[in-house]
Amino acid sequence: MIKVIRVAKIEPFIEKEDDGMIICRCEEITKGEIRRAVYEGMRTINEVKRYLRAGMGLCQGQTCQRLVQNIMAQELKTKPSELGMIQGRAPARPVEIDIFSNNITDVKEG
Amino acid sequence: MVEKRTADVIIIGGGIMGCATAYRLAKQGVDVLVLEKKEIGNGGSCRNAGGVRQSARDPKELPLAMYAVANIWPQLSDELGVDVEYHQGGNLRLGLTEKDQQVLTTYVKKSTDVGLDVKMISGDEARELCPYMSKAVVGASWCPTDGHANPLTTTLGFYRKALELGVTFVTGVTVLKLQKVRGMVRKVVTDDGIYEAENVLLCAGYESRRIANTVGIDAPIEKQFNEVLVTEAQPKMFDIMIGVAGGEFYGHQSEHGSFVLGGNSGLQAFTSHNDNFVTNSLTTPCISRGIIKYFPMLKDVKIVRTWSGFYDQCIDVLPLIDNVKEVPGLTVGFGFSGHGFGIAPAVSIALSELILKGKSTTIDISQLTYDRFKTKS
Amino acid sequence: MRRHELIVIGAGPAGLSAAIEAKKAGMDVVVFDENERPGGQLFKQIHKFFGSREHHAKVRGFRIGQELLQEAESLGVDVKLNSVVMGIYENKEVTVKKDNAVNHYKADAIIIATGAAENMLPFKGWDIPGVIGAGAAQTMMNIQGVQPGSKVLMVGSGNVGLVVSFQLLQAGCEIVGIIDAAPRVGGYGVHAAKVARTGVPFYLSHTIVEAKGTDCVTGAVIAQVDDRFQPIPGTEKELSVDTICVAVGLTPMAQLASNATCDIALLPQKGGHVALLSKCGETSVEGIYCAGDVAGIEEASSAMIQGRSVATYVCLKAGYLSEEEFQEKYDRYQAALGQLRQGMFSPENKGRNDFTVTDEGYPVSSNLLAHGYMTEDELDNFPAYTYKKAGVHPVIECTQNIPCNPCQDSCKVGCIKVGENITMLPAIDEEKKCVGCGMCVASCSGQAIFLVDETYGEGYATVAFPYEFIPVPQVGDQGTALDRQGKPVCAADIVEVKKSSVMDKTVVVTMKVPLAFVNSARFYKAGGQRG
Repeated sequence: MIKVIRVAKIEPFIEKEDDGMIICRCEEITKGEIRRAVYEGMRTINEVKRYLRAGMGLCQGQTCQRLVQNIMAQELKTKPSELGMIQGRAPARPVEIDIFSNNITDVKEG
Repeated sequence: MVEKRTADVIIIGGGIMGCATAYRLAKQGVDVLVLEKKEIGNGGSCRNAGGVRQSARDPKELPLAMYAVANIWPQLSDELGVDVEYHQGGNLRLGLTEKDQQVLTTYVKKSTDVGLDVKMISGDEARELCPYMSKAVVGASWCPTDGHANPLTTTLGFYRKALELGVTFVTGVTVLKLQKVRGMVRKVVTDDGIYEAENVLLCAGYESRRIANTVGIDAPIEKQFNEVLVTEAQPKMFDIMIGVAGGEFYGHQSEHGSFVLGGNSGLQAFTSHNDNFVTNSLTTPCISRGIIKYFPMLKDVKIVRTWSGFYDQCIDVLPLIDNVKEVPGLTVGFGFSGHGFGIAPAVSIALSELILKGKSTTIDISQLTYDRFKTKS
Repeated sequence: MRRHELIVIGAGPAGLSAAIEAKKAGMDVVVFDENERPGGQLFKQIHKFFGSREHHAKVRGFRIGQELLQEAESLGVDVKLNSVVMGIYENKEVTVKKDNAVNHYKADAIIIATGAAENMLPFKGWDIPGVIGAGAAQTMMNIQGVQPGSKVLMVGSGNVGLVVSFQLLQAGCEIVGIIDAAPRVGGYGVHAAKVARTGVPFYLSHTIVEAKGTDCVTGAVIAQVDDRFQPIPGTEKELSVDTICVAVGLTPMAQLASNATCDIALLPQKGGHVALLSKCGETSVEGIYCAGDVAGIEEASSAMIQGRSVATYVCLKAGYLSEEEFQEKYDRYQAALGQLRQGMFSPENKGRNDFTVTDEGYPVSSNLLAHGYMTEDELDNFPAYTYKKAGVHPVIECTQNIPCNPCQDSCKVGCIKVGENITMLPAIDEEKKCVGCGMCVASCSGQAIFLVDETYGEGYATVAFPYEFIPVPQVGDQGTALDRQGKPVCAADIVEVKKSSVMDKTVVVTMKVPLAFVNSARFYKAGGQRG
């Protein structure tokens, strides 16, 4: 992670016309919420994710990570690559507890 | 912009302990700088199952737990302006066998011995409190005053409040060592140069030991691996914290509706300590089997994500919350051994008092000294 | 745990190609794919591919997929379908969900070939039903046989947007417009041209401002943008549409690589977060590799070669190839990849917009980039267009340096020459006599070749053009010729319709038009005014 110095913003939060637009569809998080989270101090994609749940829904950020990154980069006037990324975690697709409980470690067939 | 390199207090570790203490100090006008290696809350603070319990705690840390539950948690959302999702729905520890019952009875006695409201109840009584559990449950311990909260919003809520009150956070900086100047700790040497303060608070979770070593302080702390699984959102079923006598899993249903359930496979002590927080392929299946034993109706619920974290496990499963007399100016707050989240709001009060007044007056932490460790004979 | 020498994740072009290569060398390999059919994106691609013969040029994507599958099957490559790889763990352990169980496998080597996912573009109303990805529209049409909508706005003029627009037309949809915030068409000019000649308008320097509708899309508001891509107030236009297709790029699906603790970087040129790779495709975790779109967005042709190239290295490491054998194959594959990665649209030229002349020195058509079609005087700069001869002869409207040469191979007489460097524009050999077979017209994947005869007589000329729609015109039909912009220019009579299995469903239709329109008539529409 790159070095980031964080201090509170002095200027007030400015609302924008498209703040109501949904960005994270799975969790229904809006652009305004993301902008405000950044304003309040969230500086990495994981901090925004944990604060708002953007990227924590069923698609695990497949659709919104890029969009959230772009909004954050715009707000912070920085490059998207400096915001970290959502780590890929198992399971790559949602899987039932029942199926998980049925795990086979000695796969017989080819 | 002139970079801030000095402060009244430098806090090492941007987890909940560091953020909450920064907040408390800043509220009292103290100039605070927090140094964090990765991101806010990236360690244990955002990698726990959100338990806020008093039951089954060692009596030595119970004052912290009781103070937090009585005085802080119920109002914390208002105080921070962030929904910490605190629910005091009680805690059930379930048993399936006679042996389980014995284990649970011991837990209960430990808690009642120190005046906590915990008791044993029958399987039927447990099912009345939580109709979703299996008929196979024969009994449970029940603590109505335990609860759970959201560790992500709580940690970041404290962080945000601390920022608002003027705290400076510098993330992406690794502390290499501490250095004494004229007998007092003063310099925090990082990969980004030197930061200086008269007071240094070391609360960097499992990273703390290495840093403490650089000024000749050691603590019997070990990284211990644990995993959690998270499900898709489900309709609200219960508010109760769940644990099981055999320890196969524990957790709760979050406000979002997803179940957050931690557990281990029995092999975790020997699992890799890969810094990338990898998971082990056998753990989730093991936890899943445990879940189905107790909550068969959850079997079709989908697991969306699994993640892992490390306890900073102390040899006596208790934290070190103390001023380090032999290194004047150094205060420590680590070793929470996987159950620091619930007491964090109270720990921050103790830590801020240790720093500002030299001792904790509000809460009794007298048994959590940094040099308490004795040999067996 | 069952251990394999090689586990390939993803049975798309890269994954299958890698598995074929490894199996041929004798390795024990298994491929897991979460879908019920293999082939990845290949089976959705009903258009003809570019490149040269070794890159499967002029072959439709899905046929390439079929060939690949057949090769895999004949070699006995084990492809496990409906098998979701859930995670990659330490020591190259892989868990796979299959048949209601989690199966644990281990591998000596893993090739991640999971491809890419579509990007989304947020705008007001983007969450109303009817806003879909272009790739999703393609799946609906070409795999599921469902028309995605009737009146479509395509957002994005890259190759995906252009190709899918054409396919939407083939599926019977109306394309109300193709918009792009950039001032120029992003994809191949020929892809744009074949859409433009059907009458689809291009709105460059336009963005979508709003999708209208409550339960479903009923309209779209677009607006012109300034040089900072901000909508200019007052330029809003509302279009009546029921579907908005979004084609704004792809992002590699690198989650499994991230899960496996490979070092990941955000590289915009590659399309997003990708694992950092050695030149042999190995990630920072020894024994884990990436190939195909997951390694960086290119196309299926590149993915197939990459799969083979990476597998070759895996075979070397596993002891199945000698150093010499490996080097020979690797060099050959890299050369093939290098050929594809040339020209105006190469990965290294991505984002460049300063091309003013082609490699040959001809002025690049600005109209093509700004509107999707060329003007006659721009075409006059290109010899393969201006070349005239008595009798039938090819007229080639291919004006961008793209690695492609099926036109050269298609002409038995040797009229058309591209040369060693396949990005060069095709030239016509004046010595050779065209016999009017129409193979070049059918073989050009860009549908940019016409057969023209100005000497037809009686004040008429004939223009033969590629046609890939139904119903196919019949000899004797009377209709209207359209120009490159899709505007009616004159009456047209159909005088010949050529079909052959070699042409693979590209019908070569010849229309008779008044001589004055020989340079403008390039498409056909049934009906319309006569005279």
